[in-house]
Amino acid sequence: MAAAPLLTMSGITKSFPGVRALDGVDLDVEAGEVHCLLGQNGAGKSTLIKVLAGAHQPDEGRISWEGREVRLGSPVAAMRLGIATIYQELDLVEHLSVTENVFLGHEVATRGFLRVRTARERAAALLRRLGHPEIDPRTLVGALSAAGQQIVSMARALSHEVRLIVMDEPSAALDPDEVGNLFRIVTDLTAQGVAVVYISHRLEEIRRIGDRVSVLKDGRVAARGLPARTTATREVVSLMTGREIAYVFPPRPTRPYGTPARTGDEATTDRRSGDSGSGTTGPEATGPGESGSGDAHSWDPWSKDPRPQDPYAKTTASQDSVPHDSGSQDHVSQDPNPRYRASQDRRSEDHRSQDHRSQDHGPEDHPSTALTPQDHDPRSGPTVPTPLTPPLLSLQSLTRKGEFAPLDLDVHPGEIVGLAGLVGSGRSEILETVAGARRPSAGRVLVDGKPLRPGSVPAAVRAGIGLAPEERKAQALLMLEPVSSNVSLSSLGRFSTGGWLDGRRERAAALAGTRDLSLSPADPDRPVRTLSGGNQQKVVLARWLLRECRVLLLDEPTRGVDVGARSELYALIRRLADEGLAVLLVSSEVPEVLGLADRVLVLREGVVVHRAPATELDEHRVLDLVMEGAPSC
Amino acid sequence: MRELRRTGDSPEQPPATGQFASRRNLLLGTAAAGAALLATGCTSNETKDESDSGKQPAGAPGDKPGKKVTIGFAGPQADHGWLNAINEEGRRRAKAYEDVTLVSTEGSNDTAQQIGQIETLINKKVDVLVILPADGKALTGVGLKAMRAGIPVVNLDRVFNSPQAYRCWIGGDNYGMGLNAGRYIGERLKGKKNAKVVELAGMDSLELTQERTRGFDDALKNYPNIRKVARQAAEFTVESGQKKMAELLQAQPKFDALWNHDDDQGVGAERAIKQAGRDEFVMVGGAGSRHSMDVIKADNTVLKATVLYPPTMAASAIDLARALGQGKGVGGLAEQEIPASLTLYSAVVTKENVDQYLPTGFN
Amino acid sequence: MLTAATDPGAGSLPPTKSPARRAVSRIDLRHLSLLAVLGALVVVGALTKPSEFLSTDNLQLILTQASVIGVVTVGVTFVIIGGGIDLSVGAIVALASVWATTVATQEYGLPGILFCALLVGLGCGLVNGLLVAYGPMVPFIATLAMLASARGLALQISDGRTQVVTVESVLDLGLPDAYVLGIPPLVLIFAAVSVLGWLVLGRTTFGRRTVAIGGNPEASRLAGIAVKRQRLLLYLLSGLCCGIAAFMLVVLTGSGQNTNGNLYELDAIAAAIIGGTLLSGGRGTITGSVLGVLVFTTITNLFALNNLQSDVQQIAKGAIIVAAVLVQKGRTSS
Repeated sequence: MAAAPLLTMSGITKSFPGVRALDGVDLDVEAGEVHCLLGQNGAGKSTLIKVLAGAHQPDEGRISWEGREVRLGSPVAAMRLGIATIYQELDLVEHLSVTENVFLGHEVATRGFLRVRTARERAAALLRRLGHPEIDPRTLVGALSAAGQQIVSMARALSHEVRLIVMDEPSAALDPDEVGNLFRIVTDLTAQGVAVVYISHRLEEIRRIGDRVSVLKDGRVAARGLPARTTATREVVSLMTGREIAYVFPPRPTRPYGTPARTGDEATTDRRSGDSGSGTTGPEATGPGESGSGDAHSWDPWSKDPRPQDPYAKTTASQDSVPHDSGSQDHVSQDPNPRYRASQDRRSEDHRSQDHRSQDHGPEDHPSTALTPQDHDPRSGPTVPTPLTPPLLSLQSLTRKGEFAPLDLDVHPGEIVGLAGLVGSGRSEILETVAGARRPSAGRVLVDGKPLRPGSVPAAVRAGIGLAPEERKAQALLMLEPVSSNVSLSSLGRFSTGGWLDGRRERAAALAGTRDLSLSPADPDRPVRTLSGGNQQKVVLARWLLRECRVLLLDEPTRGVDVGARSELYALIRRLADEGLAVLLVSSEVPEVLGLADRVLVLREGVVVHRAPATELDEHRVLDLVMEGAPSC
Repeated sequence: MRELRRTGDSPEQPPATGQFASRRNLLLGTAAAGAALLATGCTSNETKDESDSGKQPAGAPGDKPGKKVTIGFAGPQADHGWLNAINEEGRRRAKAYEDVTLVSTEGSNDTAQQIGQIETLINKKVDVLVILPADGKALTGVGLKAMRAGIPVVNLDRVFNSPQAYRCWIGGDNYGMGLNAGRYIGERLKGKKNAKVVELAGMDSLELTQERTRGFDDALKNYPNIRKVARQAAEFTVESGQKKMAELLQAQPKFDALWNHDDDQGVGAERAIKQAGRDEFVMVGGAGSRHSMDVIKADNTVLKATVLYPPTMAASAIDLARALGQGKGVGGLAEQEIPASLTLYSAVVTKENVDQYLPTGFN
Repeated sequence: MLTAATDPGAGSLPPTKSPARRAVSRIDLRHLSLLAVLGALVVVGALTKPSEFLSTDNLQLILTQASVIGVVTVGVTFVIIGGGIDLSVGAIVALASVWATTVATQEYGLPGILFCALLVGLGCGLVNGLLVAYGPMVPFIATLAMLASARGLALQISDGRTQVVTVESVLDLGLPDAYVLGIPPLVLIFAAVSVLGWLVLGRTTFGRRTVAIGGNPEASRLAGIAVKRQRLLLYLLSGLCCGIAAFMLVVLTGSGQNTNGNLYELDAIAAAIIGGTLLSGGRGTITGSVLGVLVFTTITNLFALNNLQSDVQQIAKGAIIVAAVLVQKGRTSS
């Protein structure tokens, strides 16, 4: 395009205590283009937007505006240049009128006196321009719908001399027809030479209106300025979720959970599944063509549930149907030999991802480690262990209306089950419901065959369930408190007699626990806030180990954890499973799920669209399933 | 009325016990019933008054029942012994007149609310208004409004900003209270060299406290042998009285006289004195509570006198209002008309004259 | 700031120093500024009024004056650390003191008065706790409502009159004859409540849970702590402290009055805040709160001894709050 881009950001780095949110980010935006910004939660998008809006000051890096270096020292400075930001959480004052909100901070006034009528007329003009003449500028913003509020927010942006608009997930709260209007507005704006930085999770939107795409991952730019319309979906998604560095995933045990030796005995399986009346003949024998009930997933050799087919049968019976099944079914029928397919795909993916890396990252990349996790997997093949012990955790038609569809799942001691899915797929909600933090609208959770009181965290904890939530700082840790009291938080009763705490024993136990997890520094008196992300996560794990929890629910366990510390966490999680814990793992990082879990459930919009052993899946397949069910290309 | 009560009531039943005895039902843990039972508590005085109601008050200006008069009464919230007594005196006096109907508002300390209440009374077209404003300055406007509407206003104690806002003002004399307390102490300490005096004032944020202190200081100027060595302000509450008095006692290891502005906080002050085990000085109270008078009569503590700020002014206000409503003058004066203002005398109650004042003591 | 100065290795290298010692030095430093203020006040007192200030009598007086509000502050500190606020303490003290001194209650003597005060305190605390924990209402609003209604009820019960206590055993408790080894019984109660509070906060599961729910309610919930029940218990505790304080006030003043406990809520919150309790919850100490109360009481005492009037006292109080909070801010931000 033109000589000097409208905006150039180079080498932007921004650290927060414990986290490096942005690490040398480069971005350039041309006038009149729609530049899409992609990335998972926590990839650094929000921080980048805030730097652009002048709300955060970068630690390092330069920002140029039309070739001239600028400092965005405050939101006002950014606004003066013509940068407007429409945040996802709209920053409108609900109790003020539309007009007042549009001109908030730069009121239409003469010598301090508001010119109400002029302001109202101007606001009305802006609303007309945005295709919403029906919004009365005098209404209170609180009375408008989410879409209406967004229009007001946009009108506010346009009330300035705007050159660049940042839109953070603008379509998230909109109905499809409103999205159409949004796109029309975006097109109008770009036609007038205004640049739009558009952030969205929805790839098809990016296809429709985007010009170029940049992908953020772990605070770095994974790809810069790709053509939005022609870059393959799969490529974009793998850029978002793929690893630049392969981690060493610990080996999976080849023996059945909880038994000294693997037998694969049909009888055992039958014994346990007998009461469900299932006709499954056993994992090895089950193939797609043989699936007795016609269920697409019954081929799953890992369906060790007492009722292998029941989950889906129930789902389809109680609900209308599972709409996404077809995709996986197609896939399965195309590929009768999962083992073969998996290895093939893995190989081809390696080529592809290596290509990306050389294109996108060049020398910065780590070519020597450009291996996918599976390559480190020492297992020769999918010698599938058969769990002989009864499941430790069972979910029976667990449902929360509007969040996730009825879910049946058994997790055995020693087993790691992964839930793969994007943000909003219901994965965290499932974990929180299992942990009792949310009350299910139907179904139940059993530990050791005993149902839990629904919606009670204390009951779940007593039964041995421990949740390491997604947002560690907000949901798991007492940041001001030392490691010891964070570790002992769930097991205070163990160190107390009649309510009196034995501080020495508590501290000793915390120290032992943190040593066991090789927390560094192993100082139980250190405030948690001074620890790195990985060590904070270990504190959370230590809490549950001290509680002698038997079911570990891990929600994005490596979010915000330094790249180097991840392998250690993986080894730790596997070790815990080997010690007999049942682990339910949620991650948006597909390689993490595939590398760590034994079995994987793929979630999309609250529905399990696929179940398979991790060894039979590969990253692309999962990504295809996770995205709009796009058939594999 | 005073005489009648004195002879009729006090021997058979001291008011304090009557008040409390009727609340015997208010036992621990019976919160819910509290309000209902309180109602019975309050009626104890009134039932007695009903027996009076046939007779005319002895000291009343116009003895014969006359034209019917409706008096509107707006007072502040009675969260304090003296204010409580004001409401009670007014109510009781009105009840004693056959020809008086009293329309009383719920007491309020909120200026705006009180204005609203008085406006309601104006709209009801009462014949005369008796107003004890929560804030004299702030309620001047509504006083003016009533006067313009042709309703004479008797302004009780806290004075309005403008004389146009009332027909007649009746109230206590804060300056005179200090003056009399100072004089009494001065006379008692006459001839004593380097006599030290301590003052326990009321709430400093109120103008009346400043007035009392000014009067007290002015009186002491006449006695060169006396020096005021310390002054602390309490808040008209028992708790603050105890606290500030304890500190004064600590600060002044020896002094000769103490004036306490308010008998309510005096309960706390007496407690502090007892706790400190001090008795070398003379204490003079203020306002004139029943409790103080009992103590003065018993003469077994440092409290030897109290300076009145009589709540009977509310009864007198009703008298004035009735007279205004019936177009009469004040008996015993040559005047045709009711005076425009009446400042009450702050008498000093001592052991010698306490029997005379005992019935006016408030709880 | 202070921690960093004394412990230069803390940032760079993990614990070469004994962790226990670090913890000890941290605790001491937290109260250093208050101790310094208290020390300065004592020096000023000793210089201006040597004989009156530095006497056993005066020490007894200061501690006695501090005891009633001190007990209330201990309860309020718990509530604030637990992430709440209690604006109703003064009103509960008033209600409990009035209720405990009705003629009916007085018939039962000292046990009746004590029992009634504690019961009323607990009852109000229970209502507060239920409203906040299970209402769920914002603590500010719920306790503000309690403030209004408890004061109203106190006024109604007392009819605006001072209720004089006639029970000799209660009155005697406030007189010098009842002093134990020179210590007034009220001060003993205050000391007992403080020590108990200190132990409960630092050494019990209850205290730990309080810190946890104040510091991060969501994390506490997900860790399996019954957050609502803990909240309820905190307001009950605060109510109980108010009941104790009410009884103490009855002993001290020999009466019950609906104006008792005036502005206790602000005094208690102020003392807790200058004692280092975070208004947002999750951090605070009983030691700090007790020191805060003592600082305020000593100032009032000092000013009264020097015959300074209440206007000056109030200005000084405000200045000290600002200064103490600024000092703490400076330390936590470094």
